[in-house]
Amino acid sequence: MGSGAILQSQTDADIGVSSKSQTLREFGAESARIGREIADSYERYHIHVHEVKDVDPLPHRFLVKVGKFGLAKLLVKELVTYFPKFDVILSRPCTYGVFSGPLGGFSPRPELCVGCLRCTVQHPDFVEVLHNPELFKLGDSYTTHGHITAIDEEARKGMVPVRGQGYRGRFGGPGFDGMLTDMSEIVRPSRDGIHGRELIGTAVDIGSKPMHLSFNEDGRLSEASPDMFTIQVPFIFDLPPGDFMSDKLSKVVEETSRTIDTLACIDADSVTRLGLDLPHVVPVLRSSDACRISEFRNSRLIELESWDIVAFEEARLSTAAIVGIRMEFREGWQGRLTDAVESGVKVIHFLADLHGRDPGGSFVSDLFKEAHLMLIEQGRRDAVTLIGSGGIVGADHVPKAIISGMDAVALDLPVIFAIQGRANAPLKNRDEVRGTLPKKFNHSWSVQRLANLCGSWRDQLLEILGAMGIREVRRLRGEFGRSMIVKNLEDEAFEGIAGYPGGGSR
Amino acid sequence: MTIAKPSETLIHKTTQLMREGMNAHAFGEYRAPEALGDARWTDELILSTWYMAETGKIPADINFKTGKSGGGFDRLEFGYIDESSWLPHSDDIDTSLTLNRRGDNKNKIDIDIPWYGGGMSYGSVSVNVMMSRAKNAKKWNSFMSTGEGGYPPELFEYSDSVITQVATGYFGVDENSIKATPIVEFKYAQGAKPGLGGHLLAAKAGEEVSKLRGSVPFVSLFSPFPFHSTYSVEDHSKHLDWIETVNPNALLSVKVSTPHDVDMVAVGSFYAGAHIIHLDGSYGGTGAAPEIAKKNIAMPIELAIPKVHKFLEKEGVRDQVTLIASGGIRTADDIAKSIALGADGCVLGTTDLVGMGCTRCANCEGGPSGRGCPWGLTTTDVELQEWVDQDWGALRLENLYGAMQWRVRDILRKLGMSSVRELRGRTDLLRYITTEGNS
Repeated sequence: MGSGAILQSQTDADIGVSSKSQTLREFGAESARIGREIADSYERYHIHVHEVKDVDPLPHRFLVKVGKFGLAKLLVKELVTYFPKFDVILSRPCTYGVFSGPLGGFSPRPELCVGCLRCTVQHPDFVEVLHNPELFKLGDSYTTHGHITAIDEEARKGMVPVRGQGYRGRFGGPGFDGMLTDMSEIVRPSRDGIHGRELIGTAVDIGSKPMHLSFNEDGRLSEASPDMFTIQVPFIFDLPPGDFMSDKLSKVVEETSRTIDTLACIDADSVTRLGLDLPHVVPVLRSSDACRISEFRNSRLIELESWDIVAFEEARLSTAAIVGIRMEFREGWQGRLTDAVESGVKVIHFLADLHGRDPGGSFVSDLFKEAHLMLIEQGRRDAVTLIGSGGIVGADHVPKAIISGMDAVALDLPVIFAIQGRANAPLKNRDEVRGTLPKKFNHSWSVQRLANLCGSWRDQLLEILGAMGIREVRRLRGEFGRSMIVKNLEDEAFEGIAGYPGGGSR
Repeated sequence: MTIAKPSETLIHKTTQLMREGMNAHAFGEYRAPEALGDARWTDELILSTWYMAETGKIPADINFKTGKSGGGFDRLEFGYIDESSWLPHSDDIDTSLTLNRRGDNKNKIDIDIPWYGGGMSYGSVSVNVMMSRAKNAKKWNSFMSTGEGGYPPELFEYSDSVITQVATGYFGVDENSIKATPIVEFKYAQGAKPGLGGHLLAAKAGEEVSKLRGSVPFVSLFSPFPFHSTYSVEDHSKHLDWIETVNPNALLSVKVSTPHDVDMVAVGSFYAGAHIIHLDGSYGGTGAAPEIAKKNIAMPIELAIPKVHKFLEKEGVRDQVTLIASGGIRTADDIAKSIALGADGCVLGTTDLVGMGCTRCANCEGGPSGRGCPWGLTTTDVELQEWVDQDWGALRLENLYGAMQWRVRDILRKLGMSSVRELRGRTDLLRYITTEGNS
């Protein structure tokens, strides 16, 4: 489905090279042939998306109520007035087919309604278009029904949601809503406009980069190559929250992560039981089970559930994989982060609650920033990869988390909603989330839905990066200057205006 | 399914029902449809706009001033002077706007109202909508912009009231359309999708549209981002020189979105020769745009205006350039607040469409039907576009603008001002309301 292929070397591409001596002309022709073959074998990274139908559709956006008496009266009136002009008599205000079923307006099809309201404006005496209250019941105060419907659409179509007219929501807001991303009026990484997005890289490195190179007396590198690997998108799949953990779901995230070249966190017991010891799977082990780490011979990254130096040392000595640490934003996390990185941890996976908050109420954008700046201050930011979990429920949250200092983010609730799972509010504490996956839960359907979501989110990331003129997402990490904080902008704009309290809209 | 041009009877029936329905809601005969409106354009703002477009008057009992977005214009109100000092309402209160402040030998243009119509291209809207706007612009001695789609032949009759837009795809741009216009507008970016260029979906690029754009019918048309001929402010200057060569008298407008460094962009444009700096904020936009862009990229216009105004002042060039704000300007109150924040005037887009019946259902890009706006506004569908009659549309806008001018004058007289020019940059007359509600 996806391909992480990069330009292959001549050897890798298995392109035969003539060993006989050549004239300059022959050499040129041979070089051109090799170049063409290499170019032909190059495949740019792409997530293959295609529309997949719903198995458990969300409630319709609108309810359409038609007064049967009013409609009958209209039909009679139009028949009398316009007979025999049937094009006029049969014309209806809806271009979307709400009234085009076998019984016309007597049995409207609200699932087709897009809310243009022409019907109710034209016939206010007997047609009503109402918001569907069932839709508003989805989600909670953070993961709103708007997020869930957006995820659902993205997972169905795999496209960037596009609508007419301008923004319809509130001005700024808390959390990620209070952060805007910047753009550049002129400077572009490529001069290809919309097509230039194809040239923007979304790959990120997982692991540790050397802070400097060391050479031995022979002038050769004295250290092994960097302990890291690359995934093609800056988001991975996290452990599913609450009671959503299931074998079927584990298999879905495993296959999706493999096909789009990212990672799926799966609890270690499931990995063993299901035989999912694979490079794209991140087994998550309790620290007390660190001794089991050698079971996972194919993993590139293994996470321990919490920071414990003894467990970490034991794990590190028992595996060639990178050992990462999951770290909640609980009191004292800064000290634990410092200890962990000093001890050689190369991947820290931060966990906020599902509203993106720590127990004190700080939002992840601030927490991520603090962690990022702390490591910069210590001079070892590139020695560690930071992954952020919690509160990532919209495509815009990915670049905003990266701007705040993360290398990548991990997705939890979006995975559930992409495959049309239902979770009851509140959706705040991971362990307490309760819900259901659809009854018709087909593996390949789910994999495609999840791939569609990733395709859509990646394309939306490209929109953000393209607008900024940034050519690869790695450069976005910690680029606070590429964001604008609404309350800061308001302070600047409304300074001196009577009654403005400072600190943004209340 | 082939869609044919509707019969006159069908047009009459449909338009009559639409217009009667809009009026019935605007006049309060029926309550607002429950699903009408959103935080920025509330049901009351839409209905009050319909009311003004029908009557030319301000409604008495609907909120026609603010939305419920919880920030920006919706948190600002004017602190009027004591009522005893209010000026009488009078047509003598000056609402005019000077578009050439450079004092050069180009066109000297004053318009009667401190706003004009923003770019909506032929293709993104129907020719009937374009003509409605052009006719209205002429009546108000103001302007409307072509957007990036060229001149339908009918438009040349109104070219004195039309701004020719040159955008990154150069669609519809030729010497005739540049020579015909008093103002040429360079669109570097647009607020709803800053840095992303433009995209006319294939379904809307029909025979006539593609002919004007020099393209193949029913093929998606992309305007790249940015101008491929502009790498720097020096290139920008040469860009403007090109227009000056073709039309030496034309005023030059530069439309940009609102990034963090919009103030420096504005100053750069001024020194490159722009007469008008047109800032397009992120919360506006009439055509199709990625949802992620509308909400997240660049800043709302309320926050950009004072930034640019103050920087131009600091640079000592504020009085040599006309600063225009767009992107989320909905009402006369928004216009007055924009001017108080530092703009000279505004540009309207969505407001015009709402005046002609738009309910902001957001299906401009085609929607599930693929045919575009069911109200006949943002579509070139041969049937749907007939729902907007040019003269009806022009009259609606004339009425709407009349009511809005009345309201701007009403604000000015309550501030003791006899000209809208006195209002510019007077943030001391604004008050921030900490509780959400009407101003």
